[in-house]
Amino acid sequence: MKKLIIIFSALSLLIFIRPVLGLGTNTNPTTTTVVSSTQTDITEDKSVLDGAFDGIKKFYSYTGFANSTSGNVIMIIIGIIFIYLGIKFDYEPLLLIPIGAGVILGNIPFVAGNQTGIYETGSVLNYLYFGVVKGVYPPLIFLGIGAMTDFSSLIANPKLMLLGGAAQIGVFATFLGAIYLGFNLPEAGAIGIIGGADGPTAIFLSSKLANGVNILPDGTTVKNLIGPIAIAAYSYMALVPVIQPPLMRMLISKKDRKIKMKPPRAVTQKEKMIFPVVALILTTFISPSALPLLGMLFFGNLLKESGRTERLADTARTKLIDIVTILLGVTVGASTQADIFITKDSMLIFGLGAISFVIATCGGLLFAKFMNLFLKGDNKINPLIGAAGVSAVPDSARVVHTEALKSDPTNYLLMHAMAPNVSGVIGSAIAAGIILSFLG
Amino acid sequence: MIQLLISTDPISEGYVILITGLLIVFSALVILALFFNYGLPVMLYIYKIITKRKDRKISDIKVKGDSGFTGEISAVIGAAVHMYLSEQHDVESGILTIKQVKKAYSPWSSKIYGIQNKL
Repeated sequence: MKKLIIIFSALSLLIFIRPVLGLGTNTNPTTTTVVSSTQTDITEDKSVLDGAFDGIKKFYSYTGFANSTSGNVIMIIIGIIFIYLGIKFDYEPLLLIPIGAGVILGNIPFVAGNQTGIYETGSVLNYLYFGVVKGVYPPLIFLGIGAMTDFSSLIANPKLMLLGGAAQIGVFATFLGAIYLGFNLPEAGAIGIIGGADGPTAIFLSSKLANGVNILPDGTTVKNLIGPIAIAAYSYMALVPVIQPPLMRMLISKKDRKIKMKPPRAVTQKEKMIFPVVALILTTFISPSALPLLGMLFFGNLLKESGRTERLADTARTKLIDIVTILLGVTVGASTQADIFITKDSMLIFGLGAISFVIATCGGLLFAKFMNLFLKGDNKINPLIGAAGVSAVPDSARVVHTEALKSDPTNYLLMHAMAPNVSGVIGSAIAAGIILSFLG
Repeated sequence: MIQLLISTDPISEGYVILITGLLIVFSALVILALFFNYGLPVMLYIYKIITKRKDRKISDIKVKGDSGFTGEISAVIGAAVHMYLSEQHDVESGILTIKQVKKAYSPWSSKIYGIQNKL
């Protein structure tokens, strides 16, 4: 250790002494008078120091400290908040931590033109972002979701499917709100889908409608809203445990919250196998634009239920979805580069997103109450499960479950809530398809 | 339809999409629900009728001969299997604990550089 320090100090001394002694510089002037030699020494010395100083200056101009703007700093703080929320409160950590890291990555200030940033063609991040811009990642995520999801509670009680439809009112109400706020139709459509509470669907639709490439009939290009929409969708999905319970308590009476539903009937394997095939054909015939999403969703489910492709299903629901989630999370996070992200539009989108979640939840809850008017005795549903119609799988179902447990510790609603939850996924994908076919 | 949409202003077009969209989403889910409520049982019933003769294979296996097979017997078999499997534990491979002591050569950890006490 001692030796190392000695070597280091010797080396550093040598390096510093060199310019002072004029070593290695032009020694010719020393042959002339002493005075001049000293003068030249000083100038040489100065020039070397200047060179070093210029180098450091130049280096400094490339660093984040020189290029950072207040926007960058704000976004980096937001990224850290995301990571904090994911770790501390366990709000969808699998999404918030990659996105939070991505937000930090995307907002490290840099000098443009070195193929660093996510929006510069040729940069690595840009290549990874390709999957978001072209809508490649969302269908792959849906494949994994399909291979994870058990549709049996839905098959056992098909009427709960309507709750998934009711929550989609949030999509269309937000769409209308966005139009009133002055967004043009494709942008409004992409913003509306935040109400579907489904991250992959939101990214898919915004990459098709509000991608900054499409040209509107009046000649202007649409804005690139993928970043704000995805961040809004994912952050509100993570905030489902905060947003939904107050609405539930407000809209559903204590008596209704205690309704116990009869356990769903057992579903045969044959029914489970038929479900993905039939649902795929029916839904995509109705809304062909949603084919990439619904097709992959039901394909994944078929892999799971067929009983012969366990290996493929296993990969789809573990490795594949993990890989895609990592890439999607980081690139979506990084797409929030401050100069593009911090705009009035983004703030409006965040506002609309919150409203859309509220409307979607209320729509589901009220429709469940409405359905109860027609159901008798044992068949009555607990209106709380209407809130699970927003598709944030499986968070909203879990919220419903814990909320029901609060009013009656023996009322387990998780299985029942999964039915509207998965039908919400189907419903929001269909809604995305419809919006796409109208405006795409 | 598309022509009509283009000719109108965004707000009314928004309402058109709102109403038609909601209707389509609902109708799609209603169709799905109806199918799984009524269509699927019918399909399964038809399938049952078609494959009735072939499906006999499973029902051919008679369970009458097993009337003496009580829960006690199965419990005994279960216990026996459990005990047999737990006995197996002792025949564990001991190789796990033997680690390779010899390390691969690396100049970073080479002694010869440490021995020559000069720089």
